Amino acid sequence: MISLHRVSKRFDGKRRVVALDTVNLEIEKGEMVSLVGPSGSGKSTLLNLIGGLDRPSEGDIRIDGALLRDISDDELTRIRRDKIGFIFQFFNLLPTLSCLENVSLPLHLRGWPATKIADRARELLSLVKLEKRMDHLPEELSGGERQRVAIARALSVFPPVLLADEPTGNLDSHTGVEILGLIRELHERLGATILIVTHDRSVAESCPRQIALRDGRIVMDQRQ
Amino acid sequence: MRLLRLISWQYVRKHLLRTVLTMAGIVLGVAVFVGMHTANQSVLSAFNKTVDRIAGATQLQITAGESGFDEEVLERVQAVPGVRVAVPVIEAVVNLHLQSQSNILVLAVDMTGDRSLRDYDLEEGEDTVVEDPLVFISQPDSLMVTHEFAAANRLVINSKITLDSMDGPRTFTVRGVMKSSGLTSAFGGNLAIMDIYAAQKVFGRGRKFDRIDLAAAEGTSVPALQQQLQTLLGAGFEVEPPSARGKQFESLTSVYGMLANITSLFALFIGMFIIYNSFAIAVTQRRSEIGIVRALGATRRQIQNLFLMESAMLGLIGATAGLLLGLGIARGISTSLGNFLGEIYGVAQKAEEVSSDPRLLLGALLMGVVTSVIAAWIPARAAAGVDPVQALQKGRYQQLSEGENRIRRQIAAGLFVVVVFCLFFSQNRAVFYSGYFLTVIAGLLLVPTIALWLSKAIRPVMRYLRPVEGALAADSLIQSPRRTSGAVSALALSIALVISLGGMARASYDSIEEWMRIALNPDIFLTPTQNITDRSFRFPASIAEEVSKLPGIHYTQFVRNARMMYEGNPVMFVALDIGNLRPESHLPAVEGDATSMYKQAAEGKGFLISDNFAELYKVKYRQKLTVNTPTGPLSLPVLGIVRDYSDQKGSILLDRSVFIRHWRDDTVNVVRIYLNKDTTVTQMRARIEERLAGKTRLFVFTNQDLKAYIIKITDQWFGLTYIQLAVAVLVAILGIINTLTVSITDRRRELGVLQAVGALRNQVRGTIWLEAVAIGVIGLAIGLVFGSVALYYSLEMSARDIAGLRLDYTYPWNMAAGLFPIITGAALFAALGPAEQAVRGGLVEALEYE
Repeated sequence: MISLHRVSKRFDGKRRVVALDTVNLEIEKGEMVSLVGPSGSGKSTLLNLIGGLDRPSEGDIRIDGALLRDISDDELTRIRRDKIGFIFQFFNLLPTLSCLENVSLPLHLRGWPATKIADRARELLSLVKLEKRMDHLPEELSGGERQRVAIARALSVFPPVLLADEPTGNLDSHTGVEILGLIRELHERLGATILIVTHDRSVAESCPRQIALRDGRIVMDQRQ
Repeated sequence: MRLLRLISWQYVRKHLLRTVLTMAGIVLGVAVFVGMHTANQSVLSAFNKTVDRIAGATQLQITAGESGFDEEVLERVQAVPGVRVAVPVIEAVVNLHLQSQSNILVLAVDMTGDRSLRDYDLEEGEDTVVEDPLVFISQPDSLMVTHEFAAANRLVINSKITLDSMDGPRTFTVRGVMKSSGLTSAFGGNLAIMDIYAAQKVFGRGRKFDRIDLAAAEGTSVPALQQQLQTLLGAGFEVEPPSARGKQFESLTSVYGMLANITSLFALFIGMFIIYNSFAIAVTQRRSEIGIVRALGATRRQIQNLFLMESAMLGLIGATAGLLLGLGIARGISTSLGNFLGEIYGVAQKAEEVSSDPRLLLGALLMGVVTSVIAAWIPARAAAGVDPVQALQKGRYQQLSEGENRIRRQIAAGLFVVVVFCLFFSQNRAVFYSGYFLTVIAGLLLVPTIALWLSKAIRPVMRYLRPVEGALAADSLIQSPRRTSGAVSALALSIALVISLGGMARASYDSIEEWMRIALNPDIFLTPTQNITDRSFRFPASIAEEVSKLPGIHYTQFVRNARMMYEGNPVMFVALDIGNLRPESHLPAVEGDATSMYKQAAEGKGFLISDNFAELYKVKYRQKLTVNTPTGPLSLPVLGIVRDYSDQKGSILLDRSVFIRHWRDDTVNVVRIYLNKDTTVTQMRARIEERLAGKTRLFVFTNQDLKAYIIKITDQWFGLTYIQLAVAVLVAILGIINTLTVSITDRRRELGVLQAVGALRNQVRGTIWLEAVAIGVIGLAIGLVFGSVALYYSLEMSARDIAGLRLDYTYPWNMAAGLFPIITGAALFAALGPAEQAVRGGLVEALEYE
């Protein structure tokens, strides 16, 4: 489902920083993988490259068979919106839109008909148990609830790949466990490939496959 | 200063584009101020230089308006004991029949006495000609030209040169070339000297002079001599030092000066909003930075000063750039201004060089800095009031609280009460202008509230049109009322200016067209000048009478108009055969009985005055009006006030018989000809030309020609004022660009999220475009309402202080409709750059942006 071949990422500023160094990685369809490592190890960079938010300096990335190299920004966006769902540490909900509108957003961008969008958004918010908060603005919700909305938004088109960057990093431990449980449940129900970047050992250990990065290289890749 | 370098400089470097856009308002405002005033000053200075250079050793000049005076006045003046020398002068700007030059100033003098006032230093020529002035005089085609003029036109002694004369083009012989000196540089070197008695014939002056130049005898006090001559000649004459002519010229151009001030002040005022907006946003964006600096020990005063210093630096740089730009455009403006003044007021003047007054430049710099500092004052105070604890906490900061909005609304309501009070007591000038100022302030205070209401009102529409882009664009406006209201205010002010000027223009055109229908209904206008406002040449009465006897003419009217001094200001006197005026040519009466006023005026029992004259000089109906004539003061009642647009400085209408009697002037500027039904304009033109061929210079204007000419002049006048519109709209566009630039910075993360969840580049662009269009539409809506009020005040200002013209209030609906595509188009244009900026940035950085 996700394939990286000799992928490197360098940042050329006043001094060159190698964030990822010749990484090779294969993640199968339906796998749930955690990505760990100290700060600056390159895990967020790797997630951004897989998510098509950034482009590698070298190497090839394939998502569900689609090669991300040499394609236009709009083509990259189409791959992103059809194949990838994002869950961010700081939720990244649009503060002016209600929960329903936030979840509807990717569907509107795809040009779905309004009634179909409303049905799907309601279905997803029920899935994350927020059916009673549909018309609330993000600022009226707790951290856990906001992350649920973000998860519902990420799932809006039931993408084959779900990328989560520290999904519990901004939540208290109880809520964190709850959100992780929800992700796992959705994984089991929907069968999406999930890649979670985390600092949290318990989150990492709850995933069937763990990958560790250090100084831009994969130093551990083990399945439980 | 160290804080400025450490903190502000880094911020400016990071936001260079925004800094430049913020300064643009100041640059434009100062450029317009410097450009227009420098041009005005250059033209005035050229006029003064010409007067000064021509004056030579002249200490006093005697004139009697444009009517001139009889030769016997010279003898009376020369007989006054304190007068050392007094010489007659005729001065005229005439067309040259040379391709390289357009016109020349002819100074006609009496060579026998004039050389004791002016030095005609000849560089070459037949000395015998000028050494003995009698020889020069004896050859009436003699002309002396300047070295510069001769060189430019390859003229040498005995070269022939053709000038316009009363009898048509006439050939003169160059009999002397003057060496370069002060005198020869007058009127840009386009100067010719002619004998005065020849000039009387050439320019149709009869036995009259335009002016007497004199110098006092040694030991005689000039002010005392001035007083003595004034008493001797009476109030119908002006006895002034040469410098007074500059003041009269300045008085004629005062409307232009006022226009220059209004334009630049408006541009600066709008620029002020852009600066205020930028600083308000900068303070919000730099809250955490301010919090850190405060936590590290900076005092509130230091923070406030930091922002004020920033604004002062910005103002100084912007004003300097504006100053240079202004000086750059001044030359172009001064050329067109010189031509324009010639067309409107009949006073030809060309600026030789751009002369800038250091005080003006210093004032412009100061204006830029002060504007910038005033605009940044409130944001700077807000920055000083930032609480370090709150500022260091992450979270969204609502920039304009509901409470703040309520206070603004309350202040605005209070101000509106005062405005209504001002309207009731608006006879007082200060109260009227205070009312206008307070209306603007109250309106601006309401802009955030109204903009918020309108943003909420258009959200459903925008959402319906584009569910994602529309809703996000509207939300962006709703969430940041301060950011929105700055741009909206700037735009609304510009629109209000456009509407008020457009309304003024519409009202002026309507009124002028109506006036032309009534006042300019003859079939043919016959004049001795090719420009109807030029009064250098006049028909002798005999010629006018000869024309009136031609077959095919129903009846004629002779008109003599001349600019004369009234209360120290030049006013247009229009003398015509009032008894000959048909009722359909009677100007609409503003006050007085329309039938009897014309009858009585025809009998010489009083004056009719234009409504703008009544307004400017506060003259009332039936009041006794005293005007000074060469034969003494003339006091007659005002028989009626009529709506007349003959002149911006006001006009006095009187019967020609009164004019002839008191001014001793029976010449005619225009013969108005009404044809019999069976005679065509073409036939009459041929008859006139046949009868007068070789006798006089003449120009035949048909009714359509003249109306087209007046519309052309009106177009030129409003063409000049449309510079204001261009500046205002440009500044407003800059405001929108600035706001959008800030908006996309503010919403960088939001736009990043949008792209991360699948928005294509065009969809992101669409959001920015829609936001811009929404700002445009909201600004337009508010501006159209503000414009209706501004139009009322502009019409009042025009009536009170600019031209005294009372025009009907007509809202320019067509213009308002035309503004919709212009403003939305301009807003879209303004959004192009920021929209590209929004889609070009890195997504990862955008998502991490705090």
